[in-house]
Amino acid sequence: MKDITVITGTVGVDAHVIGTKIVSRALRDAGYNVVALGAQTPPEEFIKAAQETDADAMIMSSLYGMAELDLQGFKDKCLEAGLDDILLYIGGNLGIAKSDDIEMRFKKLGFDRVYPPATDMKIALADLQNDLEAKGKL
Amino acid sequence: MEIKVRQKRIDEDKFLEMRKGVLSLWHTGKEVELDDAVGYQKSLPDSKIFHKVVQRVREEGRMVLFPRSGTPIVEDEIELVRSLNELGIPLIPFTTDSYTRNLQLDKAQKGLEESIRTGKPVLNGYPIINHGVKTTRKVVEACDGAFDPRCSRMANSLVGEVAFASGMTAMPNSFFAWIGGYDKKATVEECIETAQYLGRLIGYYADRDVIITTDCHGWLPNGVYPMSVNIATQIIEALISAEQGVKSVFPQINLQGSMAQDLGDIRIVPKLYRKYLDKLGYNDVIIPGIVGSQVPLYPFPQDMGSAFGYITYTATVAALGEVDACFVKTIDEANGIPTKESHIESYRSAKWIFDVVRQQKLEIDNEDIRQEMRITEAEVTAILDRVLELGDGDIAVGAVKAVEAGVLDSPFSINIHAKDQVLGVRDLKGACRYLDFGNLPIPEEIKEFHREKIAEREKAEGRKLDYHASLEDFWAISKGQLIGTHANS
Repeated sequence: MKDITVITGTVGVDAHVIGTKIVSRALRDAGYNVVALGAQTPPEEFIKAAQETDADAMIMSSLYGMAELDLQGFKDKCLEAGLDDILLYIGGNLGIAKSDDIEMRFKKLGFDRVYPPATDMKIALADLQNDLEAKGKL
Repeated sequence: MEIKVRQKRIDEDKFLEMRKGVLSLWHTGKEVELDDAVGYQKSLPDSKIFHKVVQRVREEGRMVLFPRSGTPIVEDEIELVRSLNELGIPLIPFTTDSYTRNLQLDKAQKGLEESIRTGKPVLNGYPIINHGVKTTRKVVEACDGAFDPRCSRMANSLVGEVAFASGMTAMPNSFFAWIGGYDKKATVEECIETAQYLGRLIGYYADRDVIITTDCHGWLPNGVYPMSVNIATQIIEALISAEQGVKSVFPQINLQGSMAQDLGDIRIVPKLYRKYLDKLGYNDVIIPGIVGSQVPLYPFPQDMGSAFGYITYTATVAALGEVDACFVKTIDEANGIPTKESHIESYRSAKWIFDVVRQQKLEIDNEDIRQEMRITEAEVTAILDRVLELGDGDIAVGAVKAVEAGVLDSPFSINIHAKDQVLGVRDLKGACRYLDFGNLPIPEEIKEFHREKIAEREKAEGRKLDYHASLEDFWAISKGQLIGTHANS
C-alpha cells in the first residue's frame, strides 16, 4: 500500500498559522506524509500540490471568517484537476458571524468533514483513518 | 546575499518619487494630497490626536480600553465607532479587512459590494483603500476619538497614506509582527523597507508639526514564550521608525497570565525603550504612554463565563500596572468577528475593573516581580546588543542578520525566513520560560535560571517537558487554567 499523503495549509489570505502548524505536526506524528503549505495559501495552490503529490486528503485551516468567499467552486476545480477521490476537510472559524448552518454550507461546497474551532486533533485523526479505510486506502 | 537596507532616513525627493508608485495602486490614491492632508490634520481637535489623548488620560490618572473595530459598510462602521465612543473610549484602533491588508483590492471591492447589497458584512474589517479619503473622513468626523488603523505589510504604505489624509493620528509600524503573524514570504529587508516608508511618511508630517504616533507590537509570540524577543523587536521597530522622523512611539505589553511577569514587563518596558532611544540619539522621541494587551494569539475560551474571566484578568493586571490603555478581546472572540453588542458587554466589564481598581493605586511590589524585571532587562539587553553588534552599529542590518542567524526567533511564526527553533513552557507558578533557546543570545546565568524552573516542573509532574507540554500550555487559558494538563495524566 502506498503512503498516505495529506496537504495542509490555511486557505486564502488568512494569516492564522498556528492551527495548520499543529495539524501538520500531529499528522506527521501519526505517520502520514504531509505537504505543509503553511498560511496564506490560495485554493489553486492546494490543488496544484495535490496533483503533484497524488494526495489523498486536504486539511484546510481557516480562522478569519472569509473561507467561504475563497472556496466558491473549489470542488468543481478539484474535479477538473482530476482530484475526484480526494478527501476535503476544513476546520476553524468559518464565517464572519456565528451561524448554525456553517457545516451544511461547507458540505455543500464539497467538504467531507467540517470542524468547529479548537477541535481536538484526535477526533480529526480518527475521522481521517475511518474515511481512508472506507475508500479502501488503509 | 548582500544586505541593501540601512538605518538611514530616506531623502525627501526619493520619498516623494516613491509615493507616486504607492498612490497609483488604487484609484482612491488620487484623493491623497499631502499639503491638504497636513492642513486637515492641523485642523483636528486635541481629542482626535492620539498622543495628546494618551497623555491626557495619563494626567487624569485614568485608563481606557483599546478595542478593535472594523466592519465593511460605512454606515455600520460609523455606528460602531459612535457606540464605542459613547462607552467612553477615546482611542479607536481600526481594523482593515484581510483582502485590503494583502492588497487584493478587487476582492475587497467585491466583498464590499456584496456586503452593501445583502446588508451583511462578508469582509472581516473596513476596506479603507476602497472607501478612500472622502468617505473615511466621515468616519473620523463621526465621533470624538483618535483613530489608529491596523494593516500588514502588503498594503501598509497605501493604508497609511489614506488613513493619515483621513485624519487618523496613529498607526502600528510593526514589521516584526508581519514576520511573526501576517506575511508568509516577505524577506526581513522587504519588511524593514516597508516600515521605513511609513516612518518617513510620518516624518514628513512631523516636519510640518503634525505628530503621528506609531504603535510597536514586536514579534508577537504565537505560543507560550517569554516576552524578551517581543520586547527587543518592539524596540528595534521604534528605532527604525525614529530614524525616519517618527516622534511618538507607543509600546505594547503583552499580558500572558503570570502576574509577576506581566507586572514586571509593564514596569521595565518603557525604561528599556527610553534607554535604547537615547543611546542611539533619538532623545526627542516621546513615549506618551503604554498599552497593555491580552496576548493576541492564545486560543480564547469558548464559553462566556470563562471569556469574561480572561478579559477581567487582563483588565485587573493592566489596572494594577497603571497602563494608560488596554486591549481586551470580546466574549464572542472564539466564534468569529465580534458583534456590536458583545463589544459593549465585554468592554463594560473591563471598564468596571479599570475604574474600580486603578483609582485605588494599590502598590504591589515583591521579589517575584523584581526578579522578572531583572530577567527581562538582562535578556532584552543581551539580544539588542547582539543585534547592534551584528549590524556593526546599524540596527537595520543587524535585524536582517539576526533573523537569519536565529538571534531573533519566535515559535510557530508564519514567515518562511524565521528559524522557528525555539520553544517555551510555563513553570510551576505559571511564568513563561524558555524550553529551547535556539540561537538566542541569552546570557548563560539566565539560561541556567530557566533550566532550573523547568526542572522544578518536570520533577513535580514526573515527566520531561517537550513540544506537547508547550502545546498543552498554549491551550490551557481557553480551558480555564494557566498551566496545561498532561494529556495522559
